[in-house]
Amino acid sequence: MDIRGIDLVIVIAYLIAIPIFGVYFRKYVKTEEDYFLAGRMLPWWVISMSIIGTNIGAYDYMGAAGGAYRFGIAQANYEWIGAIPAMVLSALLFVPYYWKAGVYTVPEFLGKRYNLAVRVIEAILWGAFLACVLGVFFWASGLMLNEYLGIPVEVSLLITALIVGIYTITGGLAAVAMTDVVQLLVMFIGGIALTVLGLWTVGGWSGLVNAITPASPNHFKLFLPLNNPTYPWLGMIFGLALVLSPAWWCCHQAIIQRTLGARSEWDAKAGMLFASFPKMMIPVLVVLPGLLALALNPGLVGPDMDKAFPWLIKNLLPAGLAGLVFAAFMAALISSVDSTLNSAATLWTRDIYQRFFKKDASDRHYLKVGRILTLVFVIWAIAFAPVTKEFPGIYVAMQTLLSIFQGPTFAITLLGIYWKRANQWGGLSGLLGGVTISSFLFFITKSSFLYIAWWSFLGSLFITIIVSLVTKPDPVEKLEGLVYGLVMKDKKLQDILKRRAEGGD
Amino acid sequence: MTEWLNSIPLFWGKVFAILFFVGLVIWAWYRPRSYIYKDSPDKNRWRDLRIWATVLLGIQVVLYIVF
Repeated sequence: MDIRGIDLVIVIAYLIAIPIFGVYFRKYVKTEEDYFLAGRMLPWWVISMSIIGTNIGAYDYMGAAGGAYRFGIAQANYEWIGAIPAMVLSALLFVPYYWKAGVYTVPEFLGKRYNLAVRVIEAILWGAFLACVLGVFFWASGLMLNEYLGIPVEVSLLITALIVGIYTITGGLAAVAMTDVVQLLVMFIGGIALTVLGLWTVGGWSGLVNAITPASPNHFKLFLPLNNPTYPWLGMIFGLALVLSPAWWCCHQAIIQRTLGARSEWDAKAGMLFASFPKMMIPVLVVLPGLLALALNPGLVGPDMDKAFPWLIKNLLPAGLAGLVFAAFMAALISSVDSTLNSAATLWTRDIYQRFFKKDASDRHYLKVGRILTLVFVIWAIAFAPVTKEFPGIYVAMQTLLSIFQGPTFAITLLGIYWKRANQWGGLSGLLGGVTISSFLFFITKSSFLYIAWWSFLGSLFITIIVSLVTKPDPVEKLEGLVYGLVMKDKKLQDILKRRAEGGD
Repeated sequence: MTEWLNSIPLFWGKVFAILFFVGLVIWAWYRPRSYIYKDSPDKNRWRDLRIWATVLLGIQVVLYIVF
C-alpha cells in the first residue's frame, strides 16, 4: 500500500482527530469511578461498539485473512460459534452479576465471591498479560506507520504513544469508549469498501465460489475433519465454543470493563448482547478478503499466505481508497491499545495498589494513581515494544499462559455465579487444580490448546464441586448479590455492595 | 479412540452446533421477564433481550445449516 496525496491527508486527519475527540471527555473525569468506569454512565450502544473495537485488532485482519486463505470459511468459527453463544451467555448470566456487585475488575469479583488468594492469582495473571500485550500492540503500530508512511519505527512508537496516551490518560474509560465508537465506524467503512470492491472484481458471490471450489472443495465448509491441524470440528465445538470463547467473553477484563461502566443493569446486558451483531459481521471484513485473495491469486504458499490481506490491498485498491483502508487498520489497532491501556491501569490500581499498598486513601488519590499508572504503562509499552521484536515468542508464551488459565477461570466463575454451594476453598482448589491439569497437558502431552481448555475446564469444575462439598459453606450474607438466585432485593443491599467495592475489600 | 472419532461424520458436528444454539435460545426464554427488563427505562417489546438473543442465535442456525 503506497500512501500519498489524498490518502495521506485522510490518514493524517484521522490520526489528529482521534486524540482531539478523546481529550474532550476529560471534563467528565472528577473521581476514580469517572476514570475507570466512565462514571457508570455509558449507554448500551456505546458499550457494544467499544467491546468490538477492543476485540478486533490489526492482527485479526492479517491472521484471519491468512487463515481463510489456507482453510476457508472455517476461520469464521472464531467470530460465530466461537463468539455469539458466549456473548449471549455473558450478557444474560455473567454481566448482570458483575455490574450489581459494583466491582471494577473481574479478579475483584472473584475475590468477593471466593477469597483474596483467588483475586491475587487472577490479578497478577491479567496484570502481566495486559502489560505484555501492550508492548506487542505498540510494536505492531510502529511497524505499520513505518511500512506505510515511511516514518522510523522509534518515531512511530512515540507517535502512537502520543495519540493513544493523551486521551487515555486524561479521559479514562469514557474517552476510550467514545473514540472506540468512531474507530469501529472507520473499520467497517474501510473493510466493507475493500470487500465490495473485491466481490465486484471476482464476479460476485457465485464468481468467488466458482473460482475457489474446484481446487479447494472444503473452503466453504464451516466444520473441517478431525485431522485438520488447526480447525478440527470437535475442538471447535468443545474447546472453542464451550470453554475458550465463554472464558474470553465472560472473564476478559478489557471486554467486561465496558459493561461495568454501564448506566444501568439493562444497558450492561444490552451492550454485550448488541455487540454480537457487529461481531457477526466481522468475517465480512477479515475472512472474505482472504477468500477473495485466494480467488484472485491462488499462488501464495507457506508463510506468504498470511500476506493475503496486504496482497489484496496492494493489487486491488484504486488511488483514494488506500488511505481509508489504512485508517481502518490503524483504527483496529488503536481501539485495542487504548482499551488494554485503560484496563491494565484499572487492574493494577484496584487489585494491586489499592489492595496492598494504600487501602484507605481519598478518591482523588486513586484517580491520580490511575493516571500515573496509565502514563507508566505508555512508557513501559514504548520500552518493551522493541523487546517483542527480539523475542517473538513472548506474545505466544503469554497467549499460552492465558489459555492455561482460561478453562479453570471460566469454571470457577461459572460455578461462583450459578452455584451458591461453591465456596472459597473449592474455588481456590479448582483454580489451582485446573491450572495443574492444563500445564500437564501442555508440557507433557503437547495437546492442542483447544483440548487443553476443555479438559482443564472439566477438571476444574470437578475439583471445585468436590472440595466445596467436603468443606464448610460460605455464609449466605457473603454471597448475596453475587450468586444466581440470591439476587439483591432492594437498593439498600446494592448500596452495601457498592460500598464494599469502593472499600477495595 | 482417534479412529472412532474420525469416523464420526461431519454432519453430526452441524447437528450438535444447531442443538447448542437452540438450547441457548430455550435457556434465554427461561430467564424471567423481570430479570430481562431490570433497570430498563420502559417495557417496550424491543427492549426484550430474549428477542435479541433469538434473532442472533437464529442467524447462527441458518449460517451453520448453509455452510
